[in-house]
Amino acid sequence: MTEAFPGALVGPSSKERKYDRQLRLWAASGQQALEEARVLLVNSDGPWGKQSTGVSGVVGVETLKNLVLPGIGGFTIVDPAMVTEPDLGVNFFLEEDSLGKSRAQETCRLLKELNPDVEGNSESKPVTELLQDPEFLPQFKLVLVSGPANKSTLITLSSAAKALGIPVLYTRSVGFYSTFSLQLPAVFPIVETHPDPESTQDLRLLNPWPELAATLASISNLETLDDHQHGHVPYILLLLHYLEKWKETHDGNVPSNYKEKTAFRDLVRSGARTANPEGGEENYDEAVAAVLKSLNPFTLRSSIREIFEMDECNNLTSETADFWLIASAIREFYTKHNVLPLPGSLPDMKAQSADYVSLQNIYKSKARKDMAEVIEVVRRLEAELSPRPAQIADKDIEVFCKNAAHIKVIHGRDLPQLNGEKYTVKAINNALGDPESLVSAFLGFDILDSIITDIQSGKQNEKALDSALAWEAGVDRVIQSLTLEASAAINEETKQRIVQRTQELRRTQGGELHNVSALTGGLVAQEALKVITRQYVPLDNTCVFDGIKSRSEMYRL
Amino acid sequence: MLKIWSMKQQQQQAENAEGAAGKKKKKVTAAQLRVQRDLQELTLGSTMKMTFPNPDDILNFVLVISPDEGMYKGGHFHFSFSVNQNFPHDPPKVKCTQKIYHPNIDLEGNVCLNILREDWKPVLNLNAVIVGLQFLFLEPNASDPLNKDAAEDLRGNREGFKRNVRGAMQGGMVRGVKFDDVLR
Amino acid sequence: MVAIDQKLRWKHLYNVLTRSGPFSDEDWVPGPETISTLESSKILVIGAGGLGCEILKNLALSGFKDIHVIDMDTIDISNLNRQFLFRQSDIGKPKAEVAAAFVEKRVKGVKITPYVGKIQDKDEDYYMQFKIVVCGLDSIEARRWINSTLVGMVDFENPESLKPIIDGGTEGFKGQARVILPTLSSCIECQLDMHAPRPAVPLCTIATIPRQPQHCIEWAHQIAWQEQRKDDTFDSDDLEHIGWIYNAALERARQFQIPGVTFQMTQGVVKNIIPAIASTNAVIAAATTSEALKIATSCNPYLENYMMYAGEEGVYTYTFEAEKKPDCPVCGNLARAMTVDPNMTLEAFIEALGERPEAQLKKPSMRTEEKTLYQRFPPQLEEQTRPNLKLKLSDLIADGQEIAVSDPAYTIDFRYRLDFS
Repeated sequence: MTEAFPGALVGPSSKERKYDRQLRLWAASGQQALEEARVLLVNSDGPWGKQSTGVSGVVGVETLKNLVLPGIGGFTIVDPAMVTEPDLGVNFFLEEDSLGKSRAQETCRLLKELNPDVEGNSESKPVTELLQDPEFLPQFKLVLVSGPANKSTLITLSSAAKALGIPVLYTRSVGFYSTFSLQLPAVFPIVETHPDPESTQDLRLLNPWPELAATLASISNLETLDDHQHGHVPYILLLLHYLEKWKETHDGNVPSNYKEKTAFRDLVRSGARTANPEGGEENYDEAVAAVLKSLNPFTLRSSIREIFEMDECNNLTSETADFWLIASAIREFYTKHNVLPLPGSLPDMKAQSADYVSLQNIYKSKARKDMAEVIEVVRRLEAELSPRPAQIADKDIEVFCKNAAHIKVIHGRDLPQLNGEKYTVKAINNALGDPESLVSAFLGFDILDSIITDIQSGKQNEKALDSALAWEAGVDRVIQSLTLEASAAINEETKQRIVQRTQELRRTQGGELHNVSALTGGLVAQEALKVITRQYVPLDNTCVFDGIKSRSEMYRL
Repeated sequence: MLKIWSMKQQQQQAENAEGAAGKKKKKVTAAQLRVQRDLQELTLGSTMKMTFPNPDDILNFVLVISPDEGMYKGGHFHFSFSVNQNFPHDPPKVKCTQKIYHPNIDLEGNVCLNILREDWKPVLNLNAVIVGLQFLFLEPNASDPLNKDAAEDLRGNREGFKRNVRGAMQGGMVRGVKFDDVLR
Repeated sequence: MVAIDQKLRWKHLYNVLTRSGPFSDEDWVPGPETISTLESSKILVIGAGGLGCEILKNLALSGFKDIHVIDMDTIDISNLNRQFLFRQSDIGKPKAEVAAAFVEKRVKGVKITPYVGKIQDKDEDYYMQFKIVVCGLDSIEARRWINSTLVGMVDFENPESLKPIIDGGTEGFKGQARVILPTLSSCIECQLDMHAPRPAVPLCTIATIPRQPQHCIEWAHQIAWQEQRKDDTFDSDDLEHIGWIYNAALERARQFQIPGVTFQMTQGVVKNIIPAIASTNAVIAAATTSEALKIATSCNPYLENYMMYAGEEGVYTYTFEAEKKPDCPVCGNLARAMTVDPNMTLEAFIEALGERPEAQLKKPSMRTEEKTLYQRFPPQLEEQTRPNLKLKLSDLIADGQEIAVSDPAYTIDFRYRLDFS
């Protein structure tokens, strides 16, 4: 435990110093995942017409900036566009000398300057051409796409990525609005969700294991302790002590409802000594404060139960991912003990140093014991399923055990399309019920995508970007696609709200504003980091940002 | 342009000439203002005196506590108060400027008083701190000490502790440490 | 040299400045005048760190042409993971200068004036030249200072004296952006309780009953250093100092058998390090500059007035209107102008205050920034300031100076600007 205490100082490496502020969030494991990842940015899909150069690609470049700085392994920018004058007014990663040159090359060059540890490539060919090479897409851990985009390109790209299990982030930023959607594999598990430390306490006070229960012997007679000792009994032991007392007068039952817990709290409170300079005891205050929060029987959260019930957890094969193998082992542990492995952390509390440390050790050794049991099951399963590519590291099992109560599986969905998909239609209709909902801006973006598709296929010219007629037709199309079900009907008021958002969207004729794209690039990079590090909880699956009111909304579409 | 700017624009030119004087003068800071108020609201008994080495600087002063009862009766204990510009978000910094024998004050003058650290809140005022300090001399607390030796003495042998307090207050030695004479 | 077609270069931005939208104010007149107002708006950025670098870039690409930036810090290696205007070779150089030069070079036509120093070095004349102030600060104290300075500058006769403050702050995956119209809306002092105090551990725990590795580090930092290295001023940037603290903490942890002291944790505790990443800074900085653009041009309504962001679980924002506190010590009671006879004694002045209609101040204490004029309590200070009562106002204060008055009868304080007749 307290392995080595070196006398001579070994300072942090220069890499640790450079990344210090982020390592405090995702630790060395997250950093390693980041450094091993390569991302693809499809920053435009060619011009929209003769005059319009298409997507300015600011949001894509700003996203990459936020990934290059923390040290992503590498990136490739795909962008067939040449740098034009309007690009210089919105894109910081271009300079005057870039005019007329390949935008992919120029943005790549200036992004690489941000971090010599990061490798960068550029491609000026359209992405559909690059996809012809079967080795192109598999090198990436994540695909970023800047829209508005031609629908067929988008579908080709997102389906190819889906087939390879590569997540896709599709982003559009126009004027004061932006939206992005995250396409995750159908099953996307996360172990380190980083829940609020307050919510992760698992102290097992109502069903102490023998070693914990045994510590009570040391304070069997609280009355005989001197004031100093009495004021330093860790509150956990106080609660265990008073629980025993309570059980004596309650047929061996623990306090189970609010009323009983309040009565129990009074019992604890009455044990505090008050004839001292402070007029009370801090450890008793802590015990009283913990009663309602900590005296709950262990229950398996429904989200964990669902994970245990999933096919992946029950039908293991030699190809089963490590996550499911460990999850399956933990389910076995749960079936046997009716609890999850103990996480083993103990909050700080008023106590003498030695008493605290020994209590902490009781929690830690129980956690180690539980983990050893899980490891044993994992090894057995591995043997049953062999041959497997590699043995699962003890460290990974340990992390899983610590986080067992808070693991999460996201059921990823495809990039939302208004193609009649019932789930999406229903979710949008639901959201439209709120007059303030930003989902109407999302619909505006879909209309814009269609207009771009029409322009690129020659059905319309680029004046359509700001043509009332084209947009009105778009609004009608969208409304029609939302009223496929007879039950749902878009009323006039709702329609006007959609029209209003489209008017705001039209204002820049498809152009980006730097602030909104920079902000969105921050949000999208945040999601990219969560997907790549498999830490924290990513978006599921669509976010809309409104730069007028400075607020965002999330939907599952 | 922001509406509030344009509202009185015509008026503005006429007014510009006036009011320019004195613009450069520094203004009383929020911390100063709060201390001015806190000082005014103090309730100092006969056992407490304050001195201001520089009366214009109310953020730095000395408090002398002279307990008239309890084990520390007869002593004069000096505390320096230093309030920063982030007061009352930050608590005042208080140190005992003499070396004294007290379980809650260490030999460097650090004071263990909850409201000076973990329990400080901006709604608390200087009076609360001063009351807290005074209380430390009436009821020294052996349970969570800064000076462990003094605390052990207080816990184990109250009479011996009292003798040590007397001795230390006269500038004597206790457990090999020479203390400051606080009787004058 | 390439000839620059401004209209072409700023095409996207000009679109929102020359065309109104469904949400822009009905009275707003879009067009060239809006553009020239924006270009002539002098804007101040306080801080050239994580937020500041982003803010400078964003303002330059929002069409602001005259930007000033203040920062007293120099570049450290730990800044490079997010402060994207700095390179390895810039370490040790002043942030404000390097950041200004970089953005000026990249975005042609923008002028960025750096000042390397403290915001407190500058006076009201300096702050008066700006139209808007954007803050990317990590210190509450600096925020409070600029807030009270800008609130104090508001002169209702001169609308230009009102300087909107747009303030951003981040911590890890979280952040906030807020718009403050000094004296008109909730100010930073009104919102002070939104800043959680730094959690502290009791000194006695650190001194006698440590339980956590952090307690051992605090002991080394706050107690051992004082005892053993009294003559050295502790410098958290000095590796030898941090190393000493680390070793002392390790030794203490060994004695108490507390596991977990690391060098990284030692630095974190001693320097009160707050985690920081590029993406959160990008979000919050752009939220502030988007408000700057909207306020400077009226192209869309601005944020009223507080936006919170949290990115740990999906994307979460919460936007609300923080309320102005009537008893706010900074914006609750603004300075009133009062014309006084410079030959009047302080005593006579105090008597006159008792007859003021807004507050009959019977037992006031009062001061200027540098001088305690009269303090009624405690007695020692009363004695020290009593001689002032007989002095003439002109001996105590300068023409146009502000005094602050507290009276036990009121829970709020008063400020007066004394103009000599």
